[in-house]
Amino acid sequence: MESKVCYVCGKEKLTKHEIGLTKKLLDKNTKCFYCLECLAEYLEVDTEFLLEKIEEFKTQDCELF
Amino acid sequence: MIYADNASTTRISDKALERMLPFLREEYGNPSSLYSHGTKSKNAIEEARCKVAGAIGAEASEIIFTSGGSEGNTCVLSSIMDGHIVTSSIEHDSVLKACHALERKGVDITYLPVDSKGLVSLYDLENSIRSNTKLVSIMLANNEIGTIEPISEIGKFLSKAGILFHTDAVQAVGHIPVDVKQLSVDYLTASAHKFHGSKGTGFMYKRKGVPLSPLVFGGEQELGFRSGTENVAGIVSLGYALEECIDQMEPITNKVRELVEATVSGIRARIPNILVNGNTESHLPGIINIVFEGVSGESLMHLLDLKGICVSTGSSCSSKKKAVSHVLMALGLTEEQARYAIRISYGRFNTIHEAESVIAAVCDACKKIAGFSGKA
Repeated sequence: MESKVCYVCGKEKLTKHEIGLTKKLLDKNTKCFYCLECLAEYLEVDTEFLLEKIEEFKTQDCELF
Repeated sequence: MIYADNASTTRISDKALERMLPFLREEYGNPSSLYSHGTKSKNAIEEARCKVAGAIGAEASEIIFTSGGSEGNTCVLSSIMDGHIVTSSIEHDSVLKACHALERKGVDITYLPVDSKGLVSLYDLENSIRSNTKLVSIMLANNEIGTIEPISEIGKFLSKAGILFHTDAVQAVGHIPVDVKQLSVDYLTASAHKFHGSKGTGFMYKRKGVPLSPLVFGGEQELGFRSGTENVAGIVSLGYALEECIDQMEPITNKVRELVEATVSGIRARIPNILVNGNTESHLPGIINIVFEGVSGESLMHLLDLKGICVSTGSSCSSKKKAVSHVLMALGLTEEQARYAIRISYGRFNTIHEAESVIAAVCDACKKIAGFSGKA
C-alpha cells in the first residue's frame, strides 16, 4: 500500500491514526492528510488532546482506528 | 463545557438529586417490606406517582414506573400478539425495533410516511386502519427534529374507532404541556433523564381498563405490571424533576426559544445556505436540526467537541450505530444531506452567552471543514 504524506510539512509514512484522524475530523473521503502536529495546529488544539480523542474513538468501535 | 445536547439527556436538577440521595443512603428500605423502614420507601414512590399523575392529567393508579422510555415502549408494543399495528417511519428505535420483532412473530405493521416537516398525515393514518388494527403508536414529538405530531386529532379519531393508541412522549414530557385526556391516548411513555431526573427511571401511563402484558415477572410491583424491586431513588428524582419542569415551563420555554432563534439567525447570518429541518409551527422549543451543505455532520460534531461543545449528529461511523438518520431520510433528504446534519438542543441551564459561543464555534468549524475539503 502506498504510504501517505502530510500535505503541510511533508512528513512521510503517516500512521493509521493520523490518517484516521484527518478522515474522522475533516473529510472521510479525503486523499490528502495531516500529520498529528499539523492537524493540531490547523484545529488549534494540542496534540495530547488529539491522542486522547483517538483512544475515545477506539472505544466507540470506530473502524478508522 | 457547553452542553447543547439536551435531547440526548439532561443534567439532573439540584432538587431532584438532593431529594433522591436519602433513598440511596439512610432510607434504603425495600418498598415491599412491611416494616416502617420499607413503608417510607413505599410512601416516597406513591408521592412521586401522584406528582406524575397530576402533571399529565391522569390518576395515580394509571402510572407505572419503568426503567425508561425504551422499556415502556417495548412493553406497550409487546402487548400486541397478533393483528395489525400502525406506527410512523420516524419513531425512536425502541418502537421501530419492537415492531420489527413483532413482524417476525407474524404481526402486520404499517409504517406511515411523514411530510417534509416530519408530520404524520391524519388522512394516511385513517386509510391505514384495517379491521384487525389493534394499536397505533405515534410519537408525541420527534427526538431529532423536534416536530410535534397531531396526537390530539389522531387520538380523537382512534377513540371513536375503538383502537388503542400509544404515544412515545419521551421528548415532550416536562417540555410542553401534556394531558393524556386532551390527547385521547391509552398509553404514554416517558423517561426521567430527559427532564432533569436521574437516568434509569421512567414511567408509563396506562389508561384504566386497557390491556397491558408485563415484560418482567416476579413480585407484582407497580400495580402488577412491572415486577422487580423499585428504583426508589430514581423514582423520587423523577417526581421532583417533573414537578419542577411543570412549575417553570413557561419561562424555560421562552428562554430556550430565544436561544434557538438566536442560534439559527446567528448561524444564518454567516452561513446563509443552511437548511433547518422540522416543523417551525409546531415544534419542541429547544431542538434545532440543521443541514450544513458540504460539511459532514459527524466531523462538525467532533470539531465542536474539541472546543468543549456537545451537540449530536444522526450519522456516525461507529459500528454500534447505523450510518444515516432514518428520520432525516423519511423527511425526503438525500443520504448526503442527512450526513450534513447536526442537532443542537438547548435546555434550561444554557445561556445566551453559550448560544453565542455555539454560533461562533459552528461557523468556525464549518469554515475549517469546508476549507480542508476544498484542498483535499
